[in-house]
Amino acid sequence: MEFLRALETSGFSVWVRESGSLWSFPGILLVHTYGMGIMVGVILAVDLSILGLVPALPLAPLQKFFPLVWIAFWLNAITGTILLAADATTKLTNPDFGVKMGFIVLAVINQRMIQKRLFGEKPSPPATGKALAWMSIACWLGAITAGRLLAYVGTAVK
Amino acid sequence: MTQILENSAHVHLLLNHVPTIGFGIGLLLCLAGFVGKSDVLKRTSFVIFFLVAVVAIATFVSGNAAEAVLAGTGRTDFPPGVSPAAIRAHEDAALLAFALMEVTGFFAWLALWQWRRVPSSSRLPGWTLPIVVVLSVVTFGLMTRAAELGGEINHPEIRESGLRQGDVIQTVNGHPVKDNDALNAATVAVEPGSTVSLGVVRDSKLQSVSIAIADAVAASKRAERTNEAASLNVRRTVLLTQELAAQYGLKLGVEGLLVEQVYEQGSQGPVDTGIARAVGLYVTGRTWVWPTCETLHFVGLCMLFTVVVIVDLRMLGMIRSVPYSAVYQLLPIGMLGFGINLTTGILFFLGVPSQYVHNPVFYWKMVFVVLGGINILYFMLVDEAWSIGAGEDAPFSAKVAAASAIFIWAAVLFCGHMLPFIGNSF
Repeated sequence: MEFLRALETSGFSVWVRESGSLWSFPGILLVHTYGMGIMVGVILAVDLSILGLVPALPLAPLQKFFPLVWIAFWLNAITGTILLAADATTKLTNPDFGVKMGFIVLAVINQRMIQKRLFGEKPSPPATGKALAWMSIACWLGAITAGRLLAYVGTAVK
Repeated sequence: MTQILENSAHVHLLLNHVPTIGFGIGLLLCLAGFVGKSDVLKRTSFVIFFLVAVVAIATFVSGNAAEAVLAGTGRTDFPPGVSPAAIRAHEDAALLAFALMEVTGFFAWLALWQWRRVPSSSRLPGWTLPIVVVLSVVTFGLMTRAAELGGEINHPEIRESGLRQGDVIQTVNGHPVKDNDALNAATVAVEPGSTVSLGVVRDSKLQSVSIAIADAVAASKRAERTNEAASLNVRRTVLLTQELAAQYGLKLGVEGLLVEQVYEQGSQGPVDTGIARAVGLYVTGRTWVWPTCETLHFVGLCMLFTVVVIVDLRMLGMIRSVPYSAVYQLLPIGMLGFGINLTTGILFFLGVPSQYVHNPVFYWKMVFVVLGGINILYFMLVDEAWSIGAGEDAPFSAKVAAASAIFIWAAVLFCGHMLPFIGNSF
């Protein structure tokens, strides 16, 4: 708790939270939102393609978008960490934040499995692919929901 | 800030004829297309339905700004001749017409999309056409009603029913009323919701005025305060005396009950009623509704970005091995996402209209949404885009359209995100 408080009261955190500059909290959260749209947007296209909902769209070329997915992911990891530091005592003690991280860890593992199993040299059977695609959609839905609800639930003691 | 409001109020007055007229033209073209068996005419009518639905978003939200201008800040000091009840009635009719119109626009878009999907046959799958036709006829009906009620706001002379200050009531359904007790007895006997015919002296002439008996509950509430003919939307009627007759410039010898005050033009009118207000109160009144809608708004955003990233980057040179006809199959995902966000967005708007009508960033967002609606048509209609095969580079026009799409939707997200930071929401 001491560490979290120190993190939250550091000069940078205070600037992010209280400066009122559009480059601080609003701008960082904006990048976080763009990152989410790009990352989940591409992943959704891959999932729907695996599930056979876009029959004309071949799966293999979509792997060209994976670098974009991971750039967006790391962008969100960085902006997310900054936003977290600015609000450490509240967010890190909020159980909902743990739920969000849980979904994201699962989603990342799942995404790596999709890339390895379905875009690798020996593709898995279709049933495995479909299970992974459903898992991907479920995890990202969970992460978005838990993330949005951070603003509403579990405002813990300071 | 006042200027933003007045500008958007003017926008409403400018845009409010587009939906009705546009839909009328679309409907005529659609019928002509069926009669003449012309696919071009049918498709044109669907494009019009879709575009009108897009413009209607701006019409709908600017309508609340127009109301804010008329109402002032507290919604109690409407200018003379503007009735809050007339505005509510128009707003409710408009909400209904708007909802139906967006559904029509969605299916018209889907029908256009299906046209391309099966390039070998130029015929549509059977079910979308009848849906669009039925929806557009119903929408047109609802819209005409909304437009009529809207006209009454600024053209009060159209309003045929209703008593005015200075009227002298002489008869109710043919029975003479000599005093307030007789008036009460005559109106209580009539069922709420039905219409009575009043013999009224107005402008020195005996006229017949039809008026709906107000809702019984509301009427009894008012009657507690006034003990007068509240069911006629009248606050006070008095027995006409010579003195009063002189004051109101009435001829000598006229007998009856003088209408001294009516409920319109003031805060006593039924301001906080109606569908739009009920939906708004539901959104803000339940703790779970707002966060749920926000979450769905984010999900819709991701679906929209599926199209923005994959389709537009294909045009700009990525995954060139994939033909345009393949990425084209993704477009409904984006449109579905847009539909989710339009629905949840309108719910936010109805919940707390003041956060948006006073917010310059919100107007920019609406401008970009309309541009986005126009932009998508390139990807639906232009043959040059459709014929991009596997391994082929997109033509320059397609690249311009794709880059514009990325800019437009990034701007929509930017404006939405900045509502509380640059603007004044929340």
